[in-house]
Amino acid sequence: MPCQSSAGKEKGKQMEHDVLIVGGGIAGMESALTLGDMGYKILLVEKQASIGGKMILLSKVFPTLDCASCISTPKMAATSHHPNIDMRVNTEVEGITKLTDGTFKVKIKRKATFVDPAACTGCGECEKACTVAQPDQFNFDLAARRTAFIPFPQAVPKKAVIERFGSSPCNFTCPAGIKAHGYVSLIRSGLYDEAMDLIMEVTPIVASLGRTCFAPCERECTRGKMEGPLPIRMLKRFAADHYYEKNPHPPYGPPGEKRDKKVAIVGSGPAGLTAAYHLAKNGYEVTIFEAAEEPGGMLRLSIPAYRLPKDVLDRDIENVTALGVEIKTGHRVQSLAKLREDGFDAVFAACGAMQDLKMKIEGDDLSGVEGALTFLMRVSSNEKTDLTGKTVMVVGGGNVAIDAARVALRLGSAKVLIQYRRSRAEMPALDAEIEDAIEEGVDIQYLKAPVRFKGASGKLEAVESVNMKLGEPDKTGRRRPVPIEGSTSTMKVDLCLVAIGQRPDLAGFSEKDGTALTRWNTLEVDSTTLETNIPGVFAGGDVVSGPASVVEAVNSGVRAAEYMRRYLEKEELPGKPMAQPPAVVDRDDVLKRNEGITKLTPAKIKHLPVEERVHNFKEVELPFTEDEARFSASRCMDCGGCSECHQCVHACPANAIHLDMQSQSEELEVGAVVLSTGFQLFDAHLKERYIYGKHPNVITAMQMDRILAPTRPYNGVLRPSDGKKPDNIAYVLCTGSRDHTVGNPLCSRVCCMYSIKQAQLIMGALPLADITIYYMDIRAFGKGYEEFYKQAADMGVYFVKGRVGSIEPADNGNLVVHYEDIEGEGGHKTAEHDLVVLSVGLFANPEAGDLFQGQKLDLDLQAFINEVDEDIDPGRTNIEGVFAAGSASAIRDIPDTILHSGSAAAQAASYLERRRAAK
Amino acid sequence: METWQIRPLGEVLRDEWIMRPRILELLKEEPRTIPQLAEALGKPSNEVMLWVMAMWRYDLLEETGKANREGFFTYKVRD
Repeated sequence: MPCQSSAGKEKGKQMEHDVLIVGGGIAGMESALTLGDMGYKILLVEKQASIGGKMILLSKVFPTLDCASCISTPKMAATSHHPNIDMRVNTEVEGITKLTDGTFKVKIKRKATFVDPAACTGCGECEKACTVAQPDQFNFDLAARRTAFIPFPQAVPKKAVIERFGSSPCNFTCPAGIKAHGYVSLIRSGLYDEAMDLIMEVTPIVASLGRTCFAPCERECTRGKMEGPLPIRMLKRFAADHYYEKNPHPPYGPPGEKRDKKVAIVGSGPAGLTAAYHLAKNGYEVTIFEAAEEPGGMLRLSIPAYRLPKDVLDRDIENVTALGVEIKTGHRVQSLAKLREDGFDAVFAACGAMQDLKMKIEGDDLSGVEGALTFLMRVSSNEKTDLTGKTVMVVGGGNVAIDAARVALRLGSAKVLIQYRRSRAEMPALDAEIEDAIEEGVDIQYLKAPVRFKGASGKLEAVESVNMKLGEPDKTGRRRPVPIEGSTSTMKVDLCLVAIGQRPDLAGFSEKDGTALTRWNTLEVDSTTLETNIPGVFAGGDVVSGPASVVEAVNSGVRAAEYMRRYLEKEELPGKPMAQPPAVVDRDDVLKRNEGITKLTPAKIKHLPVEERVHNFKEVELPFTEDEARFSASRCMDCGGCSECHQCVHACPANAIHLDMQSQSEELEVGAVVLSTGFQLFDAHLKERYIYGKHPNVITAMQMDRILAPTRPYNGVLRPSDGKKPDNIAYVLCTGSRDHTVGNPLCSRVCCMYSIKQAQLIMGALPLADITIYYMDIRAFGKGYEEFYKQAADMGVYFVKGRVGSIEPADNGNLVVHYEDIEGEGGHKTAEHDLVVLSVGLFANPEAGDLFQGQKLDLDLQAFINEVDEDIDPGRTNIEGVFAAGSASAIRDIPDTILHSGSAAAQAASYLERRRAAK
Repeated sequence: METWQIRPLGEVLRDEWIMRPRILELLKEEPRTIPQLAEALGKPSNEVMLWVMAMWRYDLLEETGKANREGFFTYKVRD
């Protein structure tokens, strides 16, 4: 609701806010409160998840040693609750443009936090449930936090945030939307049942996918750019096998709440089973009609048992029937429209592509020339087939061809060969399957294809083939095979299995009930809703797409179930789009984030030895052990941040987590701008001789402030190398300030005093500790500072005048400090300490300079905002109506920051009033 | 011999999930200090520190009392 203030009212212009304040640290809060108290409407924008800036993270403030939290939190609360302050956290200013009338157009972006702030109670249950660890930036990397996190205990607002850098490549790539990163992180955490539950949010055929999926997720896994991708498919199988071992039958039954609607599903393959599962979970009465004698569709009929054992498939199917779904086998549906007439409120046709394509060459009607899929279906249906001593040729290069060849071997064939008209590089079958087939003795002849089947008395006796060469690429991008003239050869063959493609067996649907077909003889559907031209009849899987993968069929089952639900509930179709994942992360960015991590050789996927498998249908691929699974999962680099394991969703008692939340941009107009963008700390890594980041016991003063704070990352004042209470601590002043070598010639003004503050606090916490402060000169310029310094010296803090040249590791986690002894005996000295604190300097935050469009904000040589005349006009910048508050224009201690912020607020008010008066 | 080692922080933090059951198992046997845990796990003490502090933060562990004479706290599984 617009909140027009009387004080800042623009004539003829309705603005919701009078002043934009960028940055919610102590300066921003102070300016906001001052202006808010004057009656101006304030928009306070903070990019972090909490206001409070750096001050709220401090232990105490100097020289009074007042608790920083005790001073900050009332201001934070007052800012949050002030009626004139519209506080937006997790929000960034994308651009500010000054308009000709002296006001400003502001573009802001509220970042998706994936948590509804109105519902979140800040209970922290999501943090405890989260399965992804990240460095805690609010503890300056001293400790871990979770990807679902509340910034710190006194955060305002105290709301959880879920950190997502984007979609993890594995999650983004899965055609079915299965959260691969999610179940990998759950397996890493030992939460195997939860991993299974997560996959079952999408599909019931978990174990089948764990064995047969072509795993596009693995192709995109960022580890693939290192030592090899995670074995994500095998991890899915691990989750399923572990769960099925514990639960031989589903531990659930039909849903309690039923809906008075009936659904028919034609076909019990992956699409049909998945759709049935979702619809049944929603309470619909679902009947599956299956033409074969047993359910499973292509999973049962075309995938051999050595890849997918029938009992495993049966258990997957039980996940569906346990919900009350009835599967009528041996029931071929003749008309989809008739099902509607028979009382089904909706129908889903998922009857696959079960008809082999013929080669259409001479002799392809001979006995002994058979479609490979037909052959596989016969064998799967337990039809007795003995190929002992026979020579079998398979034609084709897809998975059906490989499966047919390996099945023929298992049925006793003396020789099995595959002829494929292109080269190995173009072969569409899975590499692992091709390797297995070759290992078992299948002979693959590339660049060769039959041109004639020869026979006598209607029976195949030989196959005449021609050699091929690769020509120009065809529509699919693969190079077209071209016969080589005069290269034909003939070989004796008893059985030729043709695996050159499949098409749907539509059982005359089109003629009988007018179902529209495509020119490829597949069912025509709306590409979004999957509804056919017959209202209430939907279709998906291979019968729509033509032969595709199991996981793609699962996707159509998921989609069909959702749009059928909408249809059954009389919602608009298509209606709201199904949730879209965030953009995928850049894998190079992930690698950069993980620079230097250990290369971990992937766990080897083991197979039954050839001699133990080639004459039977025992499962070839052996499962991972628990150790192999957890090791494999632990290689995950958490590319997207949040893994989407959904544990936070389940744990949240307020149902506040919404992983489909989107970032939102907004344009606003304001009358004036206050920049309180604060400062940055010196990156101590840049001072290489101080070995920060190379030794755990060299820390920064900001880290020490966190260790000393009541909300500290450790259970005491401990050193990071081993948790010991330090008893000989060194402070190195002027780290990254007054130092031309790092590009900062300025004194940072506060380092001397915050170091002395910390020294006093440590003496309170660790009374026996020795504390040495290495300094160039102590700058105690403020009120009470000199006394504070002397007090520290009187307490026993040892002040050594001398710049530290370098720091070296010593034994037991200790450190040797090399310094120049200026005041004592002179010369180079060394001293051993068990913890070294670098009193890092403060730098400008250059972000403010990038905010303005059309006008350039003046910065000084150190990139602080340039004040036009800081002596007599503090806060004013070169852009009229834009003011700097606090450390945005120069490093200031807290009292000076507050004073300066008040000045900036007064300047902003003055600007608004001058403009109002002028109008 | 030093007992600490520097690895990328993110990698160390991720290992918490693998190390967590082993740390809990050891602490169920008896309360231990960080160096004692590090020795039992065969892992760098600074990494054990990170894992133990994460577990302490999320209420899986607690210190048993005051630090010992060498300045180390012992940790136990939280009731």
